[in-house]
Amino acid sequence: MSTKPRVSSAIPGEEASFGTALAHQPGLAGAFGMLYGTFWSKGALDHRTKEVTRMRNARVTDCGY
Amino acid sequence: MTWLEGAEGSAPFDAALGLRPELRDLYAAFYGKLWDEELLPASLLELCRLRVAQLHDCEAELAVRHAESGVRDAQVEALADWAGSDLFSEQEQAALTLAEKMPWQHHDLTDEEYANLNAHFGESGVVALTIGVALFDANCRLRLALGTEPAPVEAPMPASSEGPIY
Repeated sequence: MSTKPRVSSAIPGEEASFGTALAHQPGLAGAFGMLYGTFWSKGALDHRTKEVTRMRNARVTDCGY
Repeated sequence: MTWLEGAEGSAPFDAALGLRPELRDLYAAFYGKLWDEELLPASLLELCRLRVAQLHDCEAELAVRHAESGVRDAQVEALADWAGSDLFSEQEQAALTLAEKMPWQHHDLTDEEYANLNAHFGESGVVALTIGVALFDANCRLRLALGTEPAPVEAPMPASSEGPIY
């Protein structure tokens, strides 16, 4: 796995990160933000369940980010 | 067999997602935007979608074909061995390298492969393609986890922010 960003930041003055890389496609980034934000802010599951599954998924996929 | 009962008359996947209508609509908007805005050639996305579905052995995703994508039947037949075929352009091969590794070998993607993607698509194209392939991967995982039935459909294009999800 690469240890350096493969895509630069699309936001001047900010370091490359997940968010600033997605900013190369603002329409997609906005749609993702709406979906992901709604998942976290609303719905039938409590936050603890969501966070536990998010963290477990990150470990299973070995995603240190 | 699915264990979910979704909205009657909808495609199985759409019906299952429709049990959470707000998330379903936002998911459709996200997925549809990938195709609607012609960020990448539809044929390129369709090849990647089908290859990811093959790697997942996801019959429900493979049952959907997007007739207007421009993918030729001969390409679909050769897709499982795309690296050994001369039916795919260099651009398509670069994209299929990403599709090949995203489901089960995402840690094995190399900087050189990403440099090749960048040479073909530029950074904004690479971001769109990576999101797209990740969504195809997610679609298969959703379909398989939810147990949605394969429903053969010849959809003109896969999704739009206002239409059904096939």
